[in-house]
Amino acid sequence: MKTSQDPVRDYLSAVEREASALPADRRQELVADLAEHIEVARAERPDAVIGEILAELGDPRAIAATALAESGTGPAASPAWGGSGAPARRGKVHPLVPVLLLALAQPVGMVFPDEGGSLIGGLVRITGAVLLCTSVHWTARRKIIGVLLAVVLPGVAMGVWNLSDGAPEGSGPALVANLAASALMAGTAAWLWRVRRA
Amino acid sequence: MEPGDSTKQARAAAQLRKGVLEYCVLALMRDRPRYGVELLQALEESGALATSQGTVYPLLSRLRRDDLVTTTWQESASGPPRRYYALTDSGRAALDEFTRVWPGFRDAVDTFLATPHPSTGDLA
Repeated sequence: MKTSQDPVRDYLSAVEREASALPADRRQELVADLAEHIEVARAERPDAVIGEILAELGDPRAIAATALAESGTGPAASPAWGGSGAPARRGKVHPLVPVLLLALAQPVGMVFPDEGGSLIGGLVRITGAVLLCTSVHWTARRKIIGVLLAVVLPGVAMGVWNLSDGAPEGSGPALVANLAASALMAGTAAWLWRVRRA
Repeated sequence: MEPGDSTKQARAAAQLRKGVLEYCVLALMRDRPRYGVELLQALEESGALATSQGTVYPLLSRLRRDDLVTTTWQESASGPPRRYYALTDSGRAALDEFTRVWPGFRDAVDTFLATPHPSTGDLA
């Protein structure tokens, strides 16, 4: 175990260690907030022992647990989207991943012929939706809007199209419909990218 | 008044605090922006809402992410600049909503806790 002469640094690295399940930016923000607090508290109470200020801040583990719960990645967070999947990894996927998957599902699907194309496109889209829903980068409302626009709406439109028409792949109208769906998903993906939070 | 008399008492207080803490923090910013240490001191002085101070920072971070508060840096006459937390419009709306529902909530709990308990016949 390393020991240093600097109790503040020891304290902050303990918080950092305990909060290792937090996304890196969240963890850095937490440590910066606490460092700031310590600096201000020290300036306002020059007579206080540093140990006292740190004791008032509390147990690094309790702080990390609260941070995990607040960020929606902890075990205390709503289980609705996460299921039983490894909680520590939830939300740590880069926000570009779900956005790109949603944006590219349709074009990727169009590359492959017939059933295979729909299947692959569908899988890519579902993966994108799952990653979107488990990410910490969007609010629940934006996730719902994203899933509705990029997955549900195109899915329903395709279903209606296939049922009512049965036009063969590659025919003019089908191509137009595919392009329209692609544009909708790309637009949704662009919007998601814009409204994501750090 | 001691929050730690027994584990059960501590748990009840912690549960309650968890529910209302963020609204009390928002309420502290109602009249003017406050900086972190200042917010924590006010909570500390309240007694019942005093909590391990460090756990308030993740809460403040979420309030900021949810756009209920904004922060600005201000120079201080003594020591480092302070980061001031201020209510946004949605923060103020959330506080107003809590202020609206709280009395009914409080009265309902008081009624349940009051002795003698209302008899079941009253519900019929």
